Amino acid sequence: MDEVKLIGFMCNWCCYAGADLAGVSRFHYPPNIRIIRVMCSGRVDPELILDTFLYGADGVFIGGCHLGECHYLEGNYYAEKKIEMAKRLLKAAGVEPERLRLEWVSASEGERFAEVIRVFTEEIKELGPVKCEKEELEAACIAAADYKLRILATKERELLEDGNKYGEVFTMHEMDRLLGDMVQEDYESKRILLKLKKPMSVKEIASELNLKPNVVFRRILDLKRHELIEIHEIRDNTPTYIANTREGVE
Amino acid sequence: MKIGVYVCHCGTNIAATVDVKEVTEFAKNQPDVTIARDYVYMCSDPGQELIKKDISDANLDRVVVASCSPRMHEVTFRKTCEEAGLNAYCMEMANIREHCSWVHTDKEKATEKAKGLVASAIAKASLLQPFEPMRVGVTPSVLVIGGGIAGIQSAQDIADAGFQVYLVEREPSIGGHMAQLDKTFPTLDCSACVLTPKMVDVARHKNIKLITYAEVETVEGYIGNFKVAVRKKARYVDEEKCTGCGDCAKVCPVTISNEFDMDLGARKAAYVPFPQAVPLVYTLERDKCMRCGLCEVVCEAGAINFEERDEEIELEVGAIIAATGYDLFDPSLEPNYGYEYDEVITGLEFERLCNASGPTLGKIEINGKEPKEVVFISCVGSREREGITNYELRITNSNLDSQTSNLKPQTSKGNEYCSRVCCMYIAKQAHLVREHISDANATVFYTDVRAFGKGFEEFYWRVKEEGVNYIRRELTDELKVDKDENGQLRVKTVSEGVPIEKEADLVVLATGIVPKEDVCETARKLKITQSGDKFFLEAHPKLRPVDTLTNGIFIAGCCQSPKDIPDTVAQASATASRACSILCKEYVEVEPITAEVDETLCCGCGICESVCPYGAIEVVDTEEGRRARVTSVKCYGCGTCGSSCIKKAVKMHQFTDEQLIAQERAALATEEVVF
Ligand SMILES: Cc1cc2nc3c(=O)[nH]c(=O)nc-3n(C[C@H](O)[C@H](O)[C@H](O)COP(=O)(O)OP(=O)(O)OC[C@H]3O[C@@H](n4cnc5c(N)ncnc54)[C@H](O)[C@@H]3O)c2cc1C
Repeated sequence: MDEVKLIGFMCNWCCYAGADLAGVSRFHYPPNIRIIRVMCSGRVDPELILDTFLYGADGVFIGGCHLGECHYLEGNYYAEKKIEMAKRLLKAAGVEPERLRLEWVSASEGERFAEVIRVFTEEIKELGPVKCEKEELEAACIAAADYKLRILATKERELLEDGNKYGEVFTMHEMDRLLGDMVQEDYESKRILLKLKKPMSVKEIASELNLKPNVVFRRILDLKRHELIEIHEIRDNTPTYIANTREGVE
Repeated sequence: MKIGVYVCHCGTNIAATVDVKEVTEFAKNQPDVTIARDYVYMCSDPGQELIKKDISDANLDRVVVASCSPRMHEVTFRKTCEEAGLNAYCMEMANIREHCSWVHTDKEKATEKAKGLVASAIAKASLLQPFEPMRVGVTPSVLVIGGGIAGIQSAQDIADAGFQVYLVEREPSIGGHMAQLDKTFPTLDCSACVLTPKMVDVARHKNIKLITYAEVETVEGYIGNFKVAVRKKARYVDEEKCTGCGDCAKVCPVTISNEFDMDLGARKAAYVPFPQAVPLVYTLERDKCMRCGLCEVVCEAGAINFEERDEEIELEVGAIIAATGYDLFDPSLEPNYGYEYDEVITGLEFERLCNASGPTLGKIEINGKEPKEVVFISCVGSREREGITNYELRITNSNLDSQTSNLKPQTSKGNEYCSRVCCMYIAKQAHLVREHISDANATVFYTDVRAFGKGFEEFYWRVKEEGVNYIRRELTDELKVDKDENGQLRVKTVSEGVPIEKEADLVVLATGIVPKEDVCETARKLKITQSGDKFFLEAHPKLRPVDTLTNGIFIAGCCQSPKDIPDTVAQASATASRACSILCKEYVEVEPITAEVDETLCCGCGICESVCPYGAIEVVDTEEGRRARVTSVKCYGCGTCGSSCIKKAVKMHQFTDEQLIAQERAALATEEVVF
């Protein structure tokens, strides 16, 4: 099938119900999207989103209640941050972040629902199928499952509003930089980890992933510290590394 | 695993756009599927029998129904399974009607999509787990918030059924807006005559505890088991001792305007809002009272107590009814209505002017002058389209001379919905004008007359035949109320494309009903949802009109949407019946869609606790260290804890990571994809 494939995760109370209303009122939209029901948009995490892209989605749509109207009071505020995190990871993996769309649609907005899906489908058709390598998405997916990024995706709200343990409130700009760096680092680590299914040296990795050797070296040290990789052998004074199968990469 | 898949035609609703046979064949070839059938109406008796028979004959352990939205029939098919001995939670639905056949026209593509949705549901079904609904005990009492006609009716019905009711009202008296009305449409019976006996009954009822001049502060808990903190404000008058004689008010030196009379009349700082107040107990208004002590001197009952403090009351109830009513649109937000003039009033102000116990003792007069030309203007603050400025709208239709069109463009301040009561209260008030002042003329500038209720249309015609002059204008036609150089009030507008100007002595603005000022705060306290217009949202617009999405909390009257008294009372009785259906049980069943923590994975970081809106998940000390635990009955199943858990230790039942991933992968796989 050359058509683009879209998956929508929609909250039971607003967007899913809005989609129902679009149906009842016969507001048509393109048939590319498959809708999956969740109770709250806050249920959706970056890993699920990236897995959806990994398994072939060209666009992912998350639909929640309007801010302030969440059935669970503030689930959609958390959704907002989680979707941002997923977008950063998509970008790191070379996928256009616009392929991920978060929208608030109320249960009474059937017509708007149809319109929103129509526009989103058109945009994804314009972009065409996802072009990146499977391994790039896989790395992003593993990074999304990592506790570091999971913490940040959830805590971002708190850090921006209430501040950290020292009471320091982050500015948007600081937060943006912090998240940008963390995502990039984590993503690179996971790329390296995936490469190390077979033994490789720092130089080999650097050239395959188009990264600077010193960056690769730093990530390697980090992975080693966490016992995710180990030295495989030393060839001509150069160590090669391999993923630690005991710990498992998933 | 044996899965049965049932594809519904829904007559032609699905079958006309989706090739049902093809989808059924497709389902047969999905993993674990042992039976796949199609049928014309799956929800019909024979349809359900089909499923039941397969469950028992073929020993199915999962069922997938591909038909309409689960929001429509999930409960139906869960019951079907249960009746055949399969756990209700082992059923999953694929929504191939609302999300597919009804929104697409290309049969091939719609069929393709239906297959994807069915595959997705099958994938989830194979991972479903059986659950038993949770049982929680019930405290057999109810909190009713708001003592308008809605709250009064609810309280009475529930108390009559034999349950304890706490009726909490923020004002010194119950009665709400109905107490302010003079006559009521369409029968013209006097509002107080109908209402006052009911108010007295409520106060006397042995099962009702009236808590007036009080605020609900916090609400915790869940269906059957709410804990409510109420703050009863200090009245500085002992409710037990006060006889309602009014001596305190007579001597009170502080005179202020009476909000009950829409500030048209005056009252003292020691006051009852109106003579028929219930409880008939005076209140000293804290901010206005000078503490002169004169009242204390004259009070024979010794009821005045300046030492009184606010009182905290803790209530335990099994259900809650919100009947917090409405406010009125503020017409000063739209300057063209000329509300700054004394002779321009709102409909509710008119009710007070008409009323024998009102500020003018029932004489319709402004600054002592009896009006001869009364103009009513409908839809003030109602039926305005958002995003369109009134001015732009009006200008496109306006034939007025430039002199009157020099309004500044203004964005719409009003609401899109129709307030439902204004057309009829205008008819009533126009009739009352002529009843009170026999030589007065009444003119109504209206856009449509919505006379939909029992006896409404007849009433409208009666009023027209009495000689009330109805002049139609478009909502988009400009309208301006102002005074000319002689101080004469004029209403200028357009009717049927022709400019029209009318002199008036009194202009009555039919201001619409808007949500209570603190509606959002109340919604937050109760953890109930609101619709876009901010009124409380019902669980289902047709089938669950007085339920909210929070179990055990119900809504009645104008807090849900604008409505008249008959509808309010009907809704109030409905909430009583809904609440009683909980109270009469020893326990209630709640959905087991809750989170659960795998304590072997949990690290006790508490991030889940920080995101839970209900305090349903808490980190506690266990033998293994700090671990998160879920109080299932408090959990509403949003799953935000699950998506936030850094160790993926939280399992969101019915929406687990594995299930969602399986759904998404199955929906995407046209053929098996393996990495
Ligand atoms: C001008 C006018 C004329 C009308 N004429 C008619 C008519 O002739 N016939 C007819 O059928 N209908 C008429 N109506 C409509 C009628 O007023 C309503 O249908 C009715 O009053 C709705 O009752 P309610 O109990 O829902 O709300 P309300 O009357 O507003 O009562 C709500 C009560 O709750 C209290 N409250 C609010 N928030 C809280 C809180 N947080 N805690 C505690 N207490 C709280 C308020 O103080 C109030 O006492 C008219 C309306 C208007 C504006």
